[in-house]
Amino acid sequence: MRLRHARVELELHVLSERDGPALLLLHQLGGSSADWGEVPALWPGRVFGLDFSGHGASQGMRGGVYQPELLAGDADAALAEIGPAALAGAGIGAYVTLLLAGGRADLVPAALLLSGRGLDGGGAQPNWDISSLAGLDPAAHTPLPDGCDPRCCVLETDPRPPDYAAHFGRAARRLLRFEDGTSRPPWWAAAGGEAVSGTITDALRHLAGNG
Amino acid sequence: MAAPTYPGAVEPEREAFVASGDVRIHVVEWGDAAAPALLCCHGFWDHARSFAVLGPLLAARYRVVALDARGHGDSQWADAYSWATHIADIAAVAEWIGAPLDLIGHSMGGGQVVDAARALPQAVRRVVNIDGFGPPPMSADDEARTVARFSGFLEQRRAVAARPDWRPYANLEQLVQRRNAQNPRLSPEWLRYFVFHAAREAADGWRWKADPLLGQGAGPWRPDWIAPGYARLQQPMLAVVGSEDDTWGPLPDAIVGPRLAGVRRVTRATVAGAGHFVHMERPRETAALILDWLAAA
Repeated sequence: MRLRHARVELELHVLSERDGPALLLLHQLGGSSADWGEVPALWPGRVFGLDFSGHGASQGMRGGVYQPELLAGDADAALAEIGPAALAGAGIGAYVTLLLAGGRADLVPAALLLSGRGLDGGGAQPNWDISSLAGLDPAAHTPLPDGCDPRCCVLETDPRPPDYAAHFGRAARRLLRFEDGTSRPPWWAAAGGEAVSGTITDALRHLAGNG
Repeated sequence: MAAPTYPGAVEPEREAFVASGDVRIHVVEWGDAAAPALLCCHGFWDHARSFAVLGPLLAARYRVVALDARGHGDSQWADAYSWATHIADIAAVAEWIGAPLDLIGHSMGGGQVVDAARALPQAVRRVVNIDGFGPPPMSADDEARTVARFSGFLEQRRAVAARPDWRPYANLEQLVQRRNAQNPRLSPEWLRYFVFHAAREAADGWRWKADPLLGQGAGPWRPDWIAPGYARLQQPMLAVVGSEDDTWGPLPDAIVGPRLAGVRRVTRATVAGAGHFVHMERPRETAALILDWLAAA
């Protein structure tokens, strides 16, 4: 279904229509709702997948400003449509999940952070020794897949202080971090919450409150 | 209605649109197109005509170009705004002008020209920052409200879909009154000239040209990040403030001083009798200060 966040049209996909609590899936940088494979079948309820602005079947942003807080606005438009929902997000989608778990705690009973592409290279503060234009240059980043707005590259290196992430982690009702052995940026651990491991099936069971 | 006039404000001699990615940036010019170039960048919610008196005075020696930042004046709106894309716009206009050039910025534009100079070390020779030294440090209360501010941002984003543009005002005078709250030190004649160019008239009334989305922002940026950027500036900076307290500054020297302490070549100057809008309140004194400094720097 089509949604609108401010002036941008987004695509929200219905991935499973099973009766039960809702789950909203938020993909990694350069991904789309087509990424989720078996995950929707593992959830005991309705499952939605959002294509962030500049990704998949959603429109890009005129002006090319891509920030986690704006993608959180994309996902908030989805929450406005579907109502309260658990969130699971990978990479940049994990950071958006964290923001909404804190900033929309009334709508997000539980949230699961998964590894993936996005915000891996920005560090805790800006790198003042490089030009502020470098972060905007797609040629300075690992290429994004076709169909993704190349200007989304800024989501690779946007600086993210750990203490900022910690505010949202503390405000979340229930936050889970799925530790799969990959190295994560500093904001990941600072988000706090509960570390879970095992398989994605185990993580979703925890998320659903059956872990 | 006929365009208001203001003593000393000169109609631009040339105007153009410059592409910055998929956004068109509007620029106006005064002075000899073959003279050395000065690029002027205005403050938040302002526009290029804020330099309509200062620019022509500087044009005695320079080609003076003033831009409308994206979302402001006659430049195109974007779907969202960031500091980095404003810097990219300055870089696009600087490339259109051609190197070398000097940059002048006021308030938001003052901070931006410092970052643009850092981004363009070969093209930009000197920087004039007019009371653009950033907001005060975050208080503990500000820090504690991080999540609440973000929640408010989400509410603003939801509201845009319901009201994508400003409400119309019945006449220009109502807009002048609104702007007077921010600029109590400017004369009614100056404000009327300035607001006329900040607004457009439609069948149902007058609206601001500036994009209402400009007022929406969220993220982890913090004022502590200003000084380390200043310390990487290679070019000389003229740092200007007014002597009078005003709605938007100047900040106490206890805040500005440490931010400027790391700038390698900085000249500090205070314009007597001016508030935050130094270049609009005291354009002749400001022009003399800038021209003298540029001649010596």
